[in-house]
Amino acid sequence: MSEFQLDLSDISEASAPVDVAAIKKRLSQRGAEWKEALNQPNLVHALNHKVVFTDAVVSEGDELAFFPPMTGG
Amino acid sequence: MSVSLQSEAIDVAAEYAQLVGDSPGAAVATFTGYVRDHSDAHAVTELELEHYPEMARNVLEELGQSAAERFGLSSWRIVHRFGRLAVSETIVWVGAVADHRGEAISACELMMDTLKTDAPFWKREQGPKGEQWVASRDSDTERRARWQSRETQ
Repeated sequence: MSEFQLDLSDISEASAPVDVAAIKKRLSQRGAEWKEALNQPNLVHALNHKVVFTDAVVSEGDELAFFPPMTGG
Repeated sequence: MSVSLQSEAIDVAAEYAQLVGDSPGAAVATFTGYVRDHSDAHAVTELELEHYPEMARNVLEELGQSAAERFGLSSWRIVHRFGRLAVSETIVWVGAVADHRGEAISACELMMDTLKTDAPFWKREQGPKGEQWVASRDSDTERRARWQSRETQ
């Protein structure tokens, strides 16, 4: 697991709303590994600990996580 | 009425005593999950469970509360382990106390079926060919979906 901070103003101009899809797109530009990991068909997105779709709007201070399908129990 | 995320083994007898002690009801159901020595096609010698601690706690607390509301539980408990686990060790334990057996058993089933697909834990198996992440199962997703369709009936 890796954690880092992201400045939303780097993703959206003129403080337009930023959604999960926009963040995925920006992070995918960091390299092939990022692109592959973030474009897995079963990737789960959790915003502040709730599973969301990619159209969920992200605000400053939110916690966004990407992970594979869960396999606990 | 609580959740525990822990690396140490689950003391099933102590958990049971505490569950019932909190609220002696007429019907008590529990489920204990253990590490299997095999997967679909190969042997498993050890399991490692990774988790996303804050989210796992939130998801399991909400799950327990929703099971309590849905089935009128007087007490419930969910215990889930993380870290390295040997074959035959406990992984998960859920318990529910209700007035009747149907509610207690259904609550345990709901908690287990939902936990499998909604709580952020990931299993990595160690076997003869090295380590590999466990893939999610369609059968688990289907079991989870059954509860959602019942909610809307």
